[in-house]
Amino acid sequence: MASKLTLSNRTGWTFALPGFALIFTFIVLPFFFAIGLSLTNQRLLSPNPTQFVGLENYRQLLDFAVVTLEPERNEAGEVVRDEAGEIQYPRLRAITRSDDHPQYRGMREWFRWQSGENVRVVIANDVVFMKALVNTFLFVLVVAPVQGGLALMLALLINQKLRGISVFRTIYFMPVVVSIVVVSLLWRFIYDGQNGLLNSILQGLSFGLFQPVDWLGEPSTALPAIMAMSIWQAVGFHMVIWLAGLQTISPTLYEAAAIEGASKWQTFRYVTWPGLRNTAVLVLVVITIQGFALFAQIDVMTNGGPRDSTQTLVFQAVERGYGKQDISGGSTISVILFAIVLAISLIQRWLTRER
Amino acid sequence: MAFDPDNYGLRLFVRYLVLCLIALIFIFPLVFMINSSFKPDNQLLADTSSLRAFVPVGDISLNNYFGAFRRAPVGLFVLNSVLVTGATVLLSLLICSLAAFSFAFLRWKGRDVVFSIVIATLIIPFETIAIPLLLLVSKLPWIGLEGLQWGWLNTYRVQIIPWIADGLTIFLFVQYFKGLPGELIEAGRVEGASWWQVYYRIVMPLSGPVLATAAILKFLVMYNQYLWPLIVVQQETYRPVMVGLGYFFQLNVAWGEVMAYLTLITVPVLIFYLFLQRAFIASIASTGVKG
Amino acid sequence: MAEVSLKGIKKSYGRVDVIKGVDIHINEGEFVVFVGPSGCGKSTLLRVVAGLEDVTEGVIEIGGRVVNELPPKERGVAMVFQSYAIFPHMTVRENIAFGLTIAGASRQEKQQKVAEAARILQMEHLLDRRPSQLSGGQRQRVAIGRAITRKPAVFLFDEPLSNLDAALRMDMRMEIGRLRRQLGTTMIYVTHDQVEAMTLADRIVVLKDGQVMQIGAPMELYHQPANRFVAGFLGAPSMNFLKVDVLDLDGEAATVGNQSLEPIRVTTRRRPFRKDGKAILGIRPQHLRAVQSGKGMLHGVVAHAERLGSETVVDLTLRDDRELIAAFNEDKIFQPGDALELAFDTALAHLFPEEG
Ligand SMILES: Nc1ncnc2c1ncn2[C@@H]1O[C@H](COP(=O)(O)OP(=O)(O)OP(=O)(O)O)[C@@H](O)[C@H]1O
Ligand SMILES: [Mg+2]
Repeated sequence: MASKLTLSNRTGWTFALPGFALIFTFIVLPFFFAIGLSLTNQRLLSPNPTQFVGLENYRQLLDFAVVTLEPERNEAGEVVRDEAGEIQYPRLRAITRSDDHPQYRGMREWFRWQSGENVRVVIANDVVFMKALVNTFLFVLVVAPVQGGLALMLALLINQKLRGISVFRTIYFMPVVVSIVVVSLLWRFIYDGQNGLLNSILQGLSFGLFQPVDWLGEPSTALPAIMAMSIWQAVGFHMVIWLAGLQTISPTLYEAAAIEGASKWQTFRYVTWPGLRNTAVLVLVVITIQGFALFAQIDVMTNGGPRDSTQTLVFQAVERGYGKQDISGGSTISVILFAIVLAISLIQRWLTRER
Repeated sequence: MAFDPDNYGLRLFVRYLVLCLIALIFIFPLVFMINSSFKPDNQLLADTSSLRAFVPVGDISLNNYFGAFRRAPVGLFVLNSVLVTGATVLLSLLICSLAAFSFAFLRWKGRDVVFSIVIATLIIPFETIAIPLLLLVSKLPWIGLEGLQWGWLNTYRVQIIPWIADGLTIFLFVQYFKGLPGELIEAGRVEGASWWQVYYRIVMPLSGPVLATAAILKFLVMYNQYLWPLIVVQQETYRPVMVGLGYFFQLNVAWGEVMAYLTLITVPVLIFYLFLQRAFIASIASTGVKG
Repeated sequence: MAEVSLKGIKKSYGRVDVIKGVDIHINEGEFVVFVGPSGCGKSTLLRVVAGLEDVTEGVIEIGGRVVNELPPKERGVAMVFQSYAIFPHMTVRENIAFGLTIAGASRQEKQQKVAEAARILQMEHLLDRRPSQLSGGQRQRVAIGRAITRKPAVFLFDEPLSNLDAALRMDMRMEIGRLRRQLGTTMIYVTHDQVEAMTLADRIVVLKDGQVMQIGAPMELYHQPANRFVAGFLGAPSMNFLKVDVLDLDGEAATVGNQSLEPIRVTTRRRPFRKDGKAILGIRPQHLRAVQSGKGMLHGVVAHAERLGSETVVDLTLRDDRELIAAFNEDKIFQPGDALELAFDTALAHLFPEEG
C-alpha cells in the first residue's frame, strides 16, 4: 500500500546490508552449523566419511542411569564385610561390562550414595561432561546471587552523596577493564599453595595457625576459588548497572518516604527495591549468561582439574571441538549450552513482561 | 534530630574507612602486579609472604622488561592487538551505525524480519559458535594481492571481520537514534538532504555519546580477545597480546617477566580508562537500560 | 510561488483513518491556516503536502504538478516545525545555509543568501552562535531563516509558535505577518490558537476528525459558521448553545423558545428544521446584553463572575439548570445569586439542527 515515497527499499537494504551480511555469516550461519554438526559424527581429521547420526551425540553426552549394588553375601546369606567392618560390594564393572545389561555398556561411575545396606551408583556415559554440566550450574547458582548482591551493596554504597565518591566508583570498576586472562594469571599468585598471597594473609591474620592450602590444587577448593575471583572481577560491572537502575528512581519518592518517617531499611524495602525489579532481573540474567560462558579462567588457572573439579561446558566444548578435533561432540555441547541460555532469556522475558 | 558534630565526623570517618578497605580489595592484585614487575624472581616469590609484595623495595630494576622483550616479540603482539582492535572498532562504528540508521529511520521491505534476526543473535553467546565458526573461516575464500586464497586462518582478517557487526552495537545505535528528535531528520529531508546526507551531516554529528559507548564496549571485547585468536591464529606474526602470554609459560616460567608483560599490556588500558572513566562507566550503564 | 491543491485526500495508518477525504484549493500567494482540535489530522495533512507522508488516496498538486510520488526536496516546499528542528551541532549560519550546502551552492551564494535572510529576520548578530545559546524566539527565527533561504514555492508551518510564551508569541505572530507580506509566498500554517488563525489567515480551514468542517475567510467563519462545530470552535469564550423547541416555522425563519427563553424568531439559513422538533440556538457571549427586569428574553442567576478589566465574563444558571456564559465589554460587578435578564439581537443568533 505504501508508495515509493516513504518506502526506501534500495537505500534501506544498502545501509543495512553490510552489517546484516556480517551478522548472518559469522553468527547466524555458524549457529545453524553447530546444530547441524551436532547431528553428525564429524571429526576434523577422520578417514571416515561424515554421517548423519541423529541425536546420538546428545544421547552419548546426556545418558545416565542409577544402578543399585547389593552387598556381597556368603552362602549363609550374610553380608560380607572386610576387616574394618566395611560392607563389600560387587564391582561396578560386573554391571557395565556384563551382557545382561547392554544398555549400561561403557558407562562409568559418576557418584554414589549409601541407601540402607545397598549402594546406589549413578553411572553416566560421559562423566566428564556431566561434571562440567554440574560445575557450570553450580558456578552460576553461587555466583549469580552473591555477585548480584555484592554489586547491589556496592552500588548503594557508591550512591551516597560524599565528597570524592566517584574516585571509589572508578576503583571498584577497575578490574572490569582488565582482561580476564590477566586477572586469572594474577590470581594464580594469590591462590598459590606455597607462596600464595592468600595463604600469607590468612596466616598473618591467624598468627600462623592457618595451614596453607593449595587453593587451585584441591578438588574441594578449586571451583570456589575460581568463583571468588570471577565475582571480584565483574562485580564492578554489575554495580554500574545497579547504579543506573538506582538513578531511575525519582528522588521525590525518597523525599516522600522521608516525610513519612521511613527508616533506612524501610526506604530500601518499599522505595528502592521495587524500583529495581527489572534491573535485578537484568543483572541476574547477565551474570547467568556470563557464567555459562565460563572459559578463560579455567583455561588459564586449572585446565579443568584437579580431577575434573573445574570442568565447564565451554571448556569441554573447546577442548573437544578444538583440542581433540571432535567437531560434532564440541558442537553438541555448544547447542546444549545455547538451549540453556535460551531458556534463561525466555524466563527473563517472562519475569519482566508488562503487566 | 539533634546534630552532633563529633558523632557526625566519626560516622563520616567510618564511611570513608569502609570505602577505602573495599578499594584495597579491588586494587591489591594490580598493585602487586606492577610492583612485582620490577623485582627479580626469587625476591618476587619471597615477598609474597609479606606486605613487601605491595611495595617497590629491594632489588628494583627494569630487567624483567628487557627479559620480556628478549623472550617474546612483545612489540609485535602489542602492534597486532592495536591493529586488530583499532580496525574492528572503526569498521564496527561505521557498519553498525549504518545498519541501525536503516532500521531506525528507513522503511523498507523485510526490515522488521531482518531486525528481529539481528536482535535474536543477542542471546547467542560467542562461545557456543566458536567451533563451527572456526570450521567456517578455515574454508572461506579471500581475494588478496596473491590472488584467490582459501582459508582465513592465521590472518588479521580472521580476527577482525567476524567481530565487526554484532546485535548489541546495532541495538545501542537504534535505541539512540530513536531517541533523536524525528523532526530533525524530517527537516533535513525537507531541506533536500539524501538519506546518506542525513546520516553523515545530521545523525552522526549528534551521535557522540553512542559512538563513545559502542567504541568502548568494542574496544574492551577486542583488546581482551582470548579464545578466538587462540584457536584461529597459530603463527606468532598475527598473535595478539593475550595469546602472546603463552610464550611466558613455555619451559621455565620467569614470573618477573610475566609480571612485566602483564603490566605492559594492562597499564595502558588502565590509563586510558582513568582518563575516560565517565565514558567507560556510562557505556556499561547504557547496556543495562536494554531489556 | 505556487498554488496547492488537495483532491480527495485520504490517509490511514494501518486500519486507523486519520484523513477522511479532504479537498482544499489554495491559491498562489495565499495564507491558509489549518485549525482544529488536537489529533484532528492537521499535522498529518501538512506532512502529506511536504512529502514526509504518503497519501492512501487522492492527488496533491503543487504549482499544477502532481507531486504524490515526489520526495520533499523536489516539491519546492520549506517547513518550519513546532520544535524548531534546528540542528544543534551547527552554528546559526550553517543552519540557515543547510539547504544550500546540500544543493551544492557556492560559498559566495551561501553568504549572500544567509545575509539576506538574517537581514529580513533581524538576526545578523546571531549568525555565529550555536542553537543552545539562543532563546526560543531566536531559534524559531533560525528555523524560519532556514526555510526562506531556498526561496520555496510553498511554506509550511506546523504550530511554529506553540513553544513560545504568550508575549513572544505575539511578537512572532506579527513578524510572520510581516514576512508574509514581504515574501508573498503561498503559506500553509497549522495552529490551534484561534487568535493566530484569525489574524494571519486569508482563509481558515477548520478540520475535525480528518474532515473539513468549513473553509472561508476568518470573519466569514466567525459570522456565518456552517455548523455547530465551527461556531463553537471560533470565538472566546465559545458560543453558547441552548436546546430549544421549534414552536413555528415559516419559510426563512423559525420561532423557537424554551423554559428560560421567551419565544423569538431566528433565521434558519435554509437549514432543515421540523415544527415541534428540537433545535440548537447559538448565541455568542459577547452578543448578550443585561437588560432591566421584564425586558429580557433569557432569565438566569449569576453563578460566578470574572472581571478581566476590559470585559466581565459571567457564568449564569438558567431556569432549566443549563449554563450560559455572557461577556460584557465593560467592568461590572455581579454577585453570585443575582437574578439577571438578558437580551440579544436575534439577527446575530444561529440556529442549528439538533444533531450535526
Ligand atoms: N505514525 C502514526 N501512526 C499511527 N497514527 C498516527 C501516526 N501519526 C499520527 N497518527 C494519528 O493521526 C491522528 C492525527 O494526528 P496529527 O498529528 O495530524 O494531529 P494534529 O491535528 O496535528 O494534532 P495536534 O494539534 O495535537 O498536533 C492522531 O489521532 C494520531 O494519533
Ligand atoms: Mg500536530
